[in-house]
Amino acid sequence: MNLIREIWQSIVRRDPLSTDKGKSELVFLNVWLHIHPAKVKKENLRFRYTFYLGFITFFLFMILVTTGIALMCYYRPFPPQAYQDMKDLQFVVFMGPFLRSMHRWAAHAMVVCVFLHMCRVFYSGSYKKPRQFNWVIGVLLLLLTLGLSFTGYLLPWDQLAYWAITVGTNIGSYAPLVGGQVRELLLGGHTVGEAALIRFYVLHVAVLPSLMILLTVVHFWRIRKDGGLSRPTWRLKPSRPEALVTIGAPPETAPLKTVPASKDKTYGLMEVVTGKPIFETITPEEEEDAVFSYPYAFFREAIALMVTVTGIMAISLFFHAPLEALANPAKTPNPAKAPWYFLGLQELVSHSALLGGVVAPALMVLALLAIPYFDRNPSRRPSDRKWAIWLFTIFVVVNLVLIVIGTFFRGPGWAFVPPWVHVVAGAE
Amino acid sequence: MNRRDFFSWGTAGMVALGSGVAVSLGAVVRFLVPSVFYEPPQTFKIGNPADFPFGPPTFLADEKIFVFRDREKGFAVASAVCTHLGCTVGYFQSDQRFHCPCHGSVFAANGAVQHGPAPKALNWFEVTMTRDGQLRVDKDKVVPSNYRLMV
Repeated sequence: MNLIREIWQSIVRRDPLSTDKGKSELVFLNVWLHIHPAKVKKENLRFRYTFYLGFITFFLFMILVTTGIALMCYYRPFPPQAYQDMKDLQFVVFMGPFLRSMHRWAAHAMVVCVFLHMCRVFYSGSYKKPRQFNWVIGVLLLLLTLGLSFTGYLLPWDQLAYWAITVGTNIGSYAPLVGGQVRELLLGGHTVGEAALIRFYVLHVAVLPSLMILLTVVHFWRIRKDGGLSRPTWRLKPSRPEALVTIGAPPETAPLKTVPASKDKTYGLMEVVTGKPIFETITPEEEEDAVFSYPYAFFREAIALMVTVTGIMAISLFFHAPLEALANPAKTPNPAKAPWYFLGLQELVSHSALLGGVVAPALMVLALLAIPYFDRNPSRRPSDRKWAIWLFTIFVVVNLVLIVIGTFFRGPGWAFVPPWVHVVAGAE
Repeated sequence: MNRRDFFSWGTAGMVALGSGVAVSLGAVVRFLVPSVFYEPPQTFKIGNPADFPFGPPTFLADEKIFVFRDREKGFAVASAVCTHLGCTVGYFQSDQRFHCPCHGSVFAANGAVQHGPAPKALNWFEVTMTRDGQLRVDKDKVVPSNYRLMV
């Protein structure tokens, strides 16, 4: 028994979890957990503040990586085998439809959650100093999510895949100067063919996921380095200013007092450098509002993980990912629709390819990236930022309306057809 | 080595390093441009003139072209690729126009844009007669919409 205890001790190397020291060491001494702080603020654990959307998005990404690797075992990225493999996954492979559906629905859910997460961060004003750069990383992660969805769409090599990519890459070719070359580089040819499929496959399974993981790591790291999640500071009880424990940050006017280093004390970096820390300072009162990550934060994360995984599994049991007919370059389905999250873009493109397909999305992305640097208002309190909230709400509503129009109000020939009117497509 | 030499060699070194990186990046981009395209040829034979009826155009699915044959004017070949975003248009005999299913562009019988987001008219391709009496289409040669081959 002693040997087992010794082995266990050599692995975990921490005090028992019944002690405060053990609870801290669980986080500090574990490579997988040390991205967490040892203690978290109570308000940051409130479901109604974050809706745990960041966690849920990350868990969805983990589902996507896992199911994606499983699907790779049965997929050959060249036509027409790619489509045959889809049929195999649908009818022959054990649990094939289930895995493919999980991958599909998790991808859709991830697009939704990334978007909602962005809305939460905006409405809580969390992109403001010192978190500006993490917002930029977040926008890049949103673009990567859409890029992964787009490249994944071609892989089944069915009609939807083929025409979504034909339309999508042609939108890109409207970009000034380099558009045509970029399209050719992406497709590895002039039309969507086998060269395009292998390139999209490489992007989907290697290039984009690597970038995604890289930026996700930076995103998480920056949360900690920016002082943890933002909090509704105006709701907290005011702290006595003299109680601030900002070590090394003397008043702006006072000369810096130097203290001789003591031999019997170790100093952290924050104690020997001068200047104010970039993150929010913490008062002793606020320190009392913090709880240990173990078990409070970890318990909530585990719940979020289980709800996410079981939710996606449940949906995949009852709804299977669709698969259309084999890609047919000669026959465009009518109406030819992109995946729903690109239907807003397709609606814009139906009015003007250059303005709607290149200029408008480019401006939207630039505006999103510029938000934290353009919005100089330091307050995160909603009543202080009515303009910002109005503008962002308009942005969200316009996007949603465009997607709803593209999804439900467009019929054959992209004509305006309300969903309650049934249209029989004309003979071709 | 004196200070001047140090900076001269240093600058030369940085320039060499920079050019090396630039050349490497260029090579990476060039690597991604295929040297061989395994795609259908742009010039191809479509068959004997007698294979094509008068009246409604014949749609060749693999080549994505419409072959028009008119009793008085002769042969003309139109592209079936919408100039907007590359969907395949359909020719409707009922109104004698091309309709694109993707974003609703409509083209007149001569290929001109009548409606919708398409920025320019459908392409017409050169069609010629080969020595063995077959029709040959060259998709690289775009011709005016009134181009006709009399047989």
